[in-house]
Amino acid sequence: MEKINISVVNVVGDIFCTEAADGQKVFELIDKALKENKAVNLSFVNVKMLTTAFLNTAVGQLYKDYSEERIKSSLTVEQLTPSGSVSLKRVVDTAKLYYKNPGAMEQSINEILGE
Amino acid sequence: MNQISNINNTFESYQKLISFYQINKDKQFEDIHISITSWFAANMCSAFGGLLDILSSHLNNIKLDYISPSIEKILQKNDFLSYFDREKIADNYHTTIRYLKLKPTDGKYFNSYVINELLGRNELPRMSDLVKEKMAETIYEIFVNAQIHSESNFIYTCGQFYPNENKIEFTITDIGIGFKNKVNRRFNTNLSSTQAIKWATQDKNTTKIDISGGIGLALLKEFIAKNHGKMQIVSDDGYYEFSANGEQTGLFNGQFPGTIVNLQFRTDDNSSYILKKEINNNDIF
Repeated sequence: MEKINISVVNVVGDIFCTEAADGQKVFELIDKALKENKAVNLSFVNVKMLTTAFLNTAVGQLYKDYSEERIKSSLTVEQLTPSGSVSLKRVVDTAKLYYKNPGAMEQSINEILGE
Repeated sequence: MNQISNINNTFESYQKLISFYQINKDKQFEDIHISITSWFAANMCSAFGGLLDILSSHLNNIKLDYISPSIEKILQKNDFLSYFDREKIADNYHTTIRYLKLKPTDGKYFNSYVINELLGRNELPRMSDLVKEKMAETIYEIFVNAQIHSESNFIYTCGQFYPNENKIEFTITDIGIGFKNKVNRRFNTNLSSTQAIKWATQDKNTTKIDISGGIGLALLKEFIAKNHGKMQIVSDDGYYEFSANGEQTGLFNGQFPGTIVNLQFRTDDNSSYILKKEINNNDIF
């Protein structure tokens, strides 16, 4: 499978990758590549700051349309800082659960009302 | 005359600001006279600036008639009084973290603010680079939350470094819809303000539609617990505090017209605990 390299800094135009709207730009490129059956390498070279808001839109929402197997076999990341890896792992685990159980938010609201 | 005095980072101090707002919120085309005496924690300029902006938007004249000299000096150093026609003075001791009023779309200005006011400072020698970076990251999570969720026209930030107490207080305020309205509107529920804040700070809980989230505040709580810091959220009439000692909630008399998030970080933290949890990039997906 042909692998496309996406430079996060280049897509965002900044070393601060913090805003959800910028994550959306990255998501759209990954989505386009996956639709064309390409593999993607997401390069975080020179990224200074990441937020989970950015990663939720950039990567998390892939789990809405693609299976875990498909994402695992088609997406790689490089040059993430240790702190960035922790955040991305958290984003990915949360997205997997979220799209498997769309009623989870309502359940958690009921739980807090029942406290 | 509205007298503002002894403003700290306590429940009682937030109540004083809320009471000040409640007394003045219905005024239009009036002079609002204010005196600030005793103590005013500089980071609280964030919340105070937001409130004064609402009162100004009702075409009231804000008259800062008296500010005790020591407070005035700090509020001139941190730029707050520049917004009220007073001169800025240099901060030779580098303990202030500038007051900034930003549109939610001004993320790029916030980037240079974080570099200049937090990451690039060498007055925080005991803080490891990793902890400093983590602190900036959590501040970003709060800023981005305000951008996405608050529906506020402006976001107000300010901080203060207390070298003798080894702490930084940093506050982000919006004058948007608040946690309660946001959550209840999304789920058609009737949560109280404290229930809504508690719900939003729990891991994986989000009001976003079709996109997962709810990690930012949870990560922040984890970092605060390790750093032995403190997080306070004031939204509507709700108060929420989280520290290593656990959670506390309270109800104010009157509402704050938006949300204040105040973060307290310990600057004598030189840990490298994040590295202990290193993750292999091949195991992420």
